[in-house]
Order: sequence, then C-alpha cells, then structure tokens
Amino acid sequence: MTTKAAPSAWRDPVALLAAPAVLYLLVVYAFPLLWLFMKSLTGPGGLTIQPYVAFLSDPFNWRVVGNTLRVAAWVTVVCFVIGYPAAFALARAGAVLQIVMLVSIILPLSVGAVVKAFAWQIVLRRDGIVSQTLVGLGLWDEPQRLLFTETGLVLGAANIFLPFMILPIYSVVKLIDPRLSEAGATLGATPLYRFTHVTLPLTLPGIVSGVAFVFSMSVSMFVIPSLLIGDRFQTLATLTGRSFLLMRNEQLGSTTAVILLVLAVSIVVGSTWLARRIGGSQT
Amino acid sequence: MTSDSFLDVAGAEKAFGGVTVLGGVDLKVAAGEFISLLGPSGCGKTTLLRIVAGLLAADRGTIRLDGEEIGARPPHRRDVGVVFQNYALFPHLTVAENIAFGLKARKRPTAEIAPTVERFLSLVHLTDFADRSVRALSGGQQQRVAVARALAVQPKLLLLDEPFSALDRKLRENMQIELRRLLRELGITAVFVTHDQDEALTMSDRIAVMNKGAIEQLAVPATIYRSPATAFVLEFVGLSSRLAGTVVGQDYDQVIVDTAFGPLRAPGSFVPGASVMLAVRPERITVDAPGDYALVARLRDAVFQGSKVQLHFEAREGDHLMVETADLSDGLPAPGTEMRLGWAVADTLIYPAP
Repeated sequence: MTTKAAPSAWRDPVALLAAPAVLYLLVVYAFPLLWLFMKSLTGPGGLTIQPYVAFLSDPFNWRVVGNTLRVAAWVTVVCFVIGYPAAFALARAGAVLQIVMLVSIILPLSVGAVVKAFAWQIVLRRDGIVSQTLVGLGLWDEPQRLLFTETGLVLGAANIFLPFMILPIYSVVKLIDPRLSEAGATLGATPLYRFTHVTLPLTLPGIVSGVAFVFSMSVSMFVIPSLLIGDRFQTLATLTGRSFLLMRNEQLGSTTAVILLVLAVSIVVGSTWLARRIGGSQT
Repeated sequence: MTSDSFLDVAGAEKAFGGVTVLGGVDLKVAAGEFISLLGPSGCGKTTLLRIVAGLLAADRGTIRLDGEEIGARPPHRRDVGVVFQNYALFPHLTVAENIAFGLKARKRPTAEIAPTVERFLSLVHLTDFADRSVRALSGGQQQRVAVARALAVQPKLLLLDEPFSALDRKLRENMQIELRRLLRELGITAVFVTHDQDEALTMSDRIAVMNKGAIEQLAVPATIYRSPATAFVLEFVGLSSRLAGTVVGQDYDQVIVDTAFGPLRAPGSFVPGASVMLAVRPERITVDAPGDYALVARLRDAVFQGSKVQLHFEAREGDHLMVETADLSDGLPAPGTEMRLGWAVADTLIYPAP
C-alpha cells in the first residue's frame, strides 16, 4: 500500500481497459436507448409528454404494470427460496460433486429460453407431469391445467432464471469460512441467531446480485410469457413487443419500454441500496 | 483429582470412515488448570478438542463439565469457548462488535454489554482499536480479539486450537506469556492444543502427550521432559541421545545393557536378552569431565547455537549420540576428536526397543 492518493480514473491507464466495453455499450445500447426515449417524447407537433399521460390514465395499463411487477417479484422469490439453500449445498459439496452440480446448473443455459419454455408447455399441461404428480399425491382431486396460468408462468420462468440466483450466491458462500458459524455456536449463538447475524449478512452481496439478475430478467422477459401464458396476460415487455411488432405503434412501444426501464432500474437500485443499509447496520 | 475434576472426559472414541482417530481417551482437568494436548498432526488432539466443544459428536464416551454431563448438548449450550487456529473472526463486524457477539447472542442486558466489551478490550490492549474492522488488524491483534471474544462471555472452559501457529516466533513468545497471565488472572480452565513442544512446556500446568488417538503420558512439564513414560514421548518432546542394546544382566535395581559402546547401566529391571533402547537428555551428558565417564566417542560435528553448543558423535546406524553443553571457552573442537562422555545412571532412561 502506498500513501499517495488514488489516481483519478482519467490518469489511471488501467481504466483504459474498460474503454472497449464502454464504447460498445455506448454504440449498441446507450444511443438506441436515447433514441427510444426521444421517440416516446416526440409527438406530431414536437416535444410532448402526452404518451405518458395517456398511458398512465388507462386502467388497463396499470394492470399491465401490476402484472409485470407481480410476476417478476414471484419469480424472484421462488428463485431465492430454491436457490439460496442450493447455493450452500453447491459450495459445501465435495470437489467432484461440486463440478457435477455446477455443470448441471450451467449447461441448461445453453439450451435457451425458447426451447425450455416449450418444454414447460408440456410439463404444465392438464395431463403434464406436475398435474399428474399432484393428483397422484392426493393434493388435487382432478387434473388441472397450469399452462396459461400465472402460476405456470412463475414456475417456468423461475426454472429458467434459477442459475442466475444460485451462481452469485454460490460464489459468495464459497468464500465464507465454515468456522465462522462454529465460532458463533461456541459463543452461545443458536443456529437461528448464527444464520441471521453471521451467514445472512455475509451472503448479502450474493443475494443482492442474484436478486438484481433475476428480477431484471423476469421483469423484461418476452418469449417466456408469450409461450407460457399467452396474449391475454400482458406485461410491460410483451406490450412493448406487441406495440412494435403487431401494432406498429412506435410511440406506445417506446413509452412502455421507458417505463419498464425506469421501474426495473429503480427497483433494483433501490433494493440494493436498502440491502446494503440493512447489511451495514447489522451488529 | 478424580472426584474434583472440573472437566472429565471418559472413554471418548471417534472414527472417521472406519479409521480410529480417538481410541477411548480419558482426560481429567482440575478447575483453573491449563492443560496442553501435545502431539504430531493426526494424533487426534484437535478431534478431542472439537468433541469437547460440541463441534463434533463422539462415537462413544462421556464429557462432564462442572458436574454436568454435556456430551449430548449442542455447542451453543455448553458454555465452552474456543479460540480457533485461524481465529474465525466475523469479517463484517468491528473489533468491539466481535467481542460483543457472544454477549448479544446470550441476550445479556444491554447495560452490561458495553462495560464488559470495554473491559476485555483493555485486557487485550485493544481499546484504541474498538471501531476498526477486524480485517485491518495484524495477526497478533486478530489473535487477541479472538481470545477476548471467547472470554467475554465468561465460559466455564476455554479451548485453544493452535492459536499461535500463524504468528512469528518473537510475537508468539510474547503472546504465550501474555495469554498465560490473562488466564491465570481470570482463573479460566483451559485446554490448549499444540504440536509445538516448547509452547506446551512453557505454558502448561500439565501436558497430555498424544499419539495415534491415545494419551501416552499426562504429567507436569518437568516430568514429561525428565521421565518420558514411553519412547514416543521421549522422541517427541526434547532431544535425546539414544543407543540400542540388549539386556545382559541385572544388578539389584539396575539393568546392564550391552551397547555399541560397551556395557551401560540404567535404573529399572528387564528380562535378560530383551532388546531395549537407552536414552539420555543431551544436557545431562558431561564432556571430558575428569574421572567418571561412560564411554569414548569420536566427534562428527559441532554446532554453535549461541548460548550452547551441540556436539554430534559418530555412532552405529540407528543410534544417536549427541551432547548439549555451554559454549566451550577454547572454541569448537574439530570433527574427529575423541571425547569422553559421562552421565549419571539415574539420568539414563530405558525403553523396550521400538
């Protein structure tokens, strides 16, 4: 460690390593986004916020916003509940088992959402495996169709996004010394106290990235809801897609896209900030 | 000792996948005593410590602490503090928060927590570091936080798992003396695991030398050093000259053993014809003293070690003849010099041949 002040990003040559990424994102992401944003604000008579006013004054659109956030929240919750313990199992498993588990988590990512969504169509049918299992267990009286229901959508989407919850948490858990929990125990802390005061705060950075990944992916998913729930159920993402592809309404499309972006970013940033605050004041 | 032992481990057994790590260990520790478990890695000392702490379940055996059977209790209900080898400090907490952790977990009144933390901070000389992150501390400071954190809840028993192994030699010696003083002041009963014989000899009231899952000898440090009960204890603790031989006779309470250097005597009794090993601590051997001597040997090597000189002599394969003596005034003798070595029969140790 040297005592001199940290060099500014402009003078530090290491910062240059980020230049290709910055340039790339500017060209293919920031500029189109800006164009989208301008498009939503440009009416026939010049600059206007009329599209936003129109969008927000239609109760149907509020339902769309509600659908979007509710489904994304459920998908995130399901992924977290399944993924958090799984990340521990993965991190604490033996070397061989760990590789097997990692491969079985990462490999399905190469299949792609479309193929998996089609697979889920079969799984969620009235005569699909979920329905048959639940009837077999006596939990359902008769076979039911989960396909084209919100539950089905959440189940399918959670399956597809699960790796993005498990992997960031796993990478954090792997760095936690198992002795810490033992130390807590010898100090008189119950398993629950150890979890809330040692394990949870230390895994918080992993949880924050996992939640951010899964939430932002499920708030903006387009293909999965199209295949698993259909057109009767609209989210901001599917509405944006329809506006551009079917209705050819670029203004509506760019308006919903901007609203979606603002919502997703503020929720992800807000929850990250909140988690850090809770984590920081943890004693 | 049997009736008033504070910690009483009886018949502790543990096997991992069919391999016995602890084979029925008994250990009794008096209140306020500092006991070291000394042994090479894999001897079962850490396993025994983890069983007492409740971090590992014994296959068989009982553990009584302060009159209560604690063998079936989970670690958080045993009142046994542990200082881990790597300290296991909570990285997301400050020094003071680490020390307060156990107090808060035990739901001690808030009004009591702050003064207790203060007190233990000052006991380990870390008052100025209270609000630092533990990650910003040196190894020695981290070790002191670990000790303060374990002691702050005032456990009945403190277990220490090689807490000095990560520190450099000089710091280690200071910390050993410091820790010993602190534990005496607080009257804490402690079991200390180490593979470092110097550490065990310096710090302990008694030492349990462990080998292959069993305690070979449990005694005060001087006894461990002067009268090792087994050849293993002899070789593990301290240096020694060792000569193999055959018992050729018995002369009252002395055994006569035929060695490569001729017949030598040792206290005790053995069947004639038995293969034995004779041993003498190197500082018990005198060099070129007039009159009384046991044998003549040729010097192979002389090693200057500051306050003392180590002399190694030529000996038969398997034998080991060495002497430690104060620095010789007329310089190191040249290799090849013949020297007369002598020692008292009472200082001679005898064991069945290993």
